[in-house]
Amino acid sequence: MPFISYLSEARPAQRITRGVRASTIIKTLSAVAGLALAGCSDGGGDAESGIAGSSLNWPTEEQAGQFLVQSTFGPSGNETTSLVDQGISSWLLAEFEKPESFFTARVRSRQITEDREDRSAPSDVFWESAVVGEDQLRLRMAYALSQILVVSNANGSPLQNEPLALAFYMDILTRNAFGNYRDLLEEVTYSPAMAMYLTYLRNRKANPSSGSVPDENYAREIMQLFTIGLVELGRDGLPAPGAQETYTNEDVVGLAKVFTGLSHDGGFWGGDAVDGWEYERLVVYPEHHSEAEKSFLGLTIPAGTGPEESIDRALDQLVNHPNTGPFIARQLIQRLVTSNPQPAYVERVATAFETGETRLPNDTIVGDGRRGDLRATIAAILIDPQARQDPSSVPDDFGKVREPVLRFIHWARAFNVDSARAQEERFLDDTSDVDRLGQHPFRSRSVFNFYRPGYVAPGTQSGGAGLSGPELQITNESTVVGYINTMTQFVRDDTPNESGASGAAFRPNYAPELELADDPQALVNQLNRKLTYGRMRAATRERIISVLNEIPIRSDRADEDRETRVQTAVLMAVTSPAFIVQQ
Amino acid sequence: MRSMSRRNFLKAASAGGVVAGSGLATTLGGFAARAADTSGYRALVCVFLKGGLDCHDTLFPYDTSSYNQYTNIRPTLLSSYQAMDGGSTRERARLLELNPLNAADYGSRAFALPEEFSGIHNLFESGHASIASNVGPLIRPMDRNTYNTSSSDRPSKLFSHNDQQSTWMALAPEGVRFGWGGRFADAALGSNANANPVFTSISVSGNEVFLSGETAFQYQLDSKGAQVVNALENANLLGSGRDSSLALSLLDEHLRDGASGSLFQQDVASVTARAIDSNALFNDTLEAAAPLATAFPNSGLGSKLSRVAKAIAARGPLGASRQVFYVDTGGFDTHSNQARSLPGLQRQIDEAVSAFYAATEELGVENDVTLFTASDFGRTLIINGDGTDHGWGGHHLIVGGAVNGQRIFGDVPPPTVDHSQDSGRGRLIPTMSVEQFAAPLGRWFGLSEGELLTALPRLSNFSSAPLIV
Repeated sequence: MPFISYLSEARPAQRITRGVRASTIIKTLSAVAGLALAGCSDGGGDAESGIAGSSLNWPTEEQAGQFLVQSTFGPSGNETTSLVDQGISSWLLAEFEKPESFFTARVRSRQITEDREDRSAPSDVFWESAVVGEDQLRLRMAYALSQILVVSNANGSPLQNEPLALAFYMDILTRNAFGNYRDLLEEVTYSPAMAMYLTYLRNRKANPSSGSVPDENYAREIMQLFTIGLVELGRDGLPAPGAQETYTNEDVVGLAKVFTGLSHDGGFWGGDAVDGWEYERLVVYPEHHSEAEKSFLGLTIPAGTGPEESIDRALDQLVNHPNTGPFIARQLIQRLVTSNPQPAYVERVATAFETGETRLPNDTIVGDGRRGDLRATIAAILIDPQARQDPSSVPDDFGKVREPVLRFIHWARAFNVDSARAQEERFLDDTSDVDRLGQHPFRSRSVFNFYRPGYVAPGTQSGGAGLSGPELQITNESTVVGYINTMTQFVRDDTPNESGASGAAFRPNYAPELELADDPQALVNQLNRKLTYGRMRAATRERIISVLNEIPIRSDRADEDRETRVQTAVLMAVTSPAFIVQQ
Repeated sequence: MRSMSRRNFLKAASAGGVVAGSGLATTLGGFAARAADTSGYRALVCVFLKGGLDCHDTLFPYDTSSYNQYTNIRPTLLSSYQAMDGGSTRERARLLELNPLNAADYGSRAFALPEEFSGIHNLFESGHASIASNVGPLIRPMDRNTYNTSSSDRPSKLFSHNDQQSTWMALAPEGVRFGWGGRFADAALGSNANANPVFTSISVSGNEVFLSGETAFQYQLDSKGAQVVNALENANLLGSGRDSSLALSLLDEHLRDGASGSLFQQDVASVTARAIDSNALFNDTLEAAAPLATAFPNSGLGSKLSRVAKAIAARGPLGASRQVFYVDTGGFDTHSNQARSLPGLQRQIDEAVSAFYAATEELGVENDVTLFTASDFGRTLIINGDGTDHGWGGHHLIVGGAVNGQRIFGDVPPPTVDHSQDSGRGRLIPTMSVEQFAAPLGRWFGLSEGELLTALPRLSNFSSAPLIV
């Protein structure tokens, strides 16, 4: 591999060659000579945004790091260099075939072996899989979906004490991460976790004698949050000219009738007495399902239609709505790549969602051609010219604040923490508090997630420029300090285990860095490569080096001093602007 | 709206204070904005009840005829209440009757609070609290007829949690950048009310648009206090026996450095810089203040309001004469299991608000601090089995010594459907807009009429703005 200096401000020259097919020979050439040739038959370059066509398939090391920050929980080991060798197309195809990390089985075995109902068991599995799991893209996609199709076991949630129901829900997201959105939405609709969280478990048809009517909760949120949103959108995700609200309260009332008559197998009322209800698909009880005509969004389901057919038709209507593609596309882009995607980017991804196909730079077509294909969608997000802009020359509005959970996991992956036992790490039981990360997986305060996709942070530069910054909604004077302090303890291997002693399970392995501790500049270069794909700013690097020079290596305590140097440098790197904001 | 007096929330400023409100408006009416009254101390405390408090399960009809209408319309929910341990706290005999000074406005109708609100009931009966009824977002006055015929006059994105929270806080759906609490703080800052502007607008519950103004930032606390960067306090960071002031100052520079970064990088760095500059100062100042004797309940809301009370206790050293606080508590989206969840939430509000009022008395600022509740929306009167769905107008508390107390302001619609303020299923069309609710709070806070119109631009759409008595 050509060595790319992370200290060099100058970029290697980009060579943009249109219309040249990728081949092993070209790949080898590019790897040997540092050349990067376009492998994109449908036009890799984009003069408008100055995009290097090369990066669409054959990234430089910096571009590969950028790609892995978008598509995984952060590069670990030699993943960056191997992506440079492999090319993005092959990498994506390989990720699609990897076996998935499942949650339910591991939560079950944990409960059996430890004989406890552990609220944190699903997130323990998540921390472990995110750090060491092979199926990085799938889990990253599932995690993104968990912030759109939100359930939560926060305090007061009906799922607070239902780790198995939450684990099964995460399996639905993981299993369907490369599936189809329509199928995913159906499994979500029939999941015990969502039915409990949005209160349609045992929801019943109207009862004229008591005056009771169907619960509207799921009907409203499946439209507002999971499919179409509140305002008519163009395919580019922007409100259409003269856009109207997509639905009225009458539509909610009509759709609410659809989600009646669902409960656990084994009895409408007592089904949760049967072992395993948490991971069994809900079943329908026609006697509790509304027989009335159900009208919403221009669809009328005739009186007397049964529950399964009604749900099928309703989900079809929602997923086929013109808003659903751009609505979901834009949010997935925001979770992975950038908070403010260009409208054309949203349109390209929405088109992939709608056509169900994406052509990779190596000409392989992914997706089965059915509307809602998520393989095509995720591929379109990651190979898009806007996502693949060279990180050294991105416009100011490109990128996103990385949420604290992702920053933490990237650190853990970069230093190969021993993560086999997340349940022994007390901090990881709940990182929600503002003096921790201010965020915990699957534990947002409401179905509106940790932050809103359209959040514009008041009193900020980005807000003044009209940019959305979802993650800024959980960025404040408490949480920024909570992150710094929490990372200080993790970086220094000073977090408590479940009995309060320090030195718990997430222990970083700094062996490669300790080798470089006597050479501050080399150490900083190493961290720049591992954590910030070469984008650490000069001022940051200089400050780290100056601080390290304040920690001389004493001959009688050299090991201790080297460790202090490494820990200090890592702390400064994970609190640096280039690490906190991905571009 | 039947009578003006029902919208006069706040009494005249206490003896020795300046004449606020209409007097101020009269005096300064001819001047341009930026003329907030900044004398003395004033604080507003917004307690936001996330999820949409069921107004129909909070302020009860109490006269027999209305109460019977109510029980007829919510039979299965009331059965759920009866099935609770200890029986139903919604039995008429257990409700706490209100004796409002303006009872005559309601003729033969009477009202009550649930027993979980016993402390708030006491505050009401002793004149330290009032209720503003059927408040919510409006563009202009609206009833069932105009709701059905003039959809363009409906506030947008009705019944949606996030958008109605935003509309309560900032008079427009999600995405709006300035809230009326922040605008009130802007007015105070524009008149140099506070020696240290950082502590003007304080949230103990995360970032919310309510507190954001053009100049007022929201300063964030959590219920444990302000967070301090340990690495900057701890010389040991550099290894045992080391102490490098150069290294610590470089680390400090590093953490607050967003210069020449992207907009997002600058934003994160600005927040970090404010945290480093203000958090230690805030904690030190609070520690130096005399401890509060008032005990707060050990609940989320209790600890948040306790933190507000401690900040108010340190108002002098913090250099604050005008402050707006925001706290919230969740769980009110009671689509299901309402009988099991709502009473406990109401008890939590009651204990925390009662303790907070007691703390302001202890500090001698009970006439200078006004607390009010807000929520996404009220809920349907019609039930869905064991819960209720999203509504619109709701009833809210205003608590404090300055409150024109023991009154039920506004119009409480009857416990039936299809009346003139019903948009369907008992989702109440508000009779008091958020602007009308906020205006007397703003006047009391010291805003001029011009500043009030900046903060509440649609105020002029509503019948003569409320006056402070």
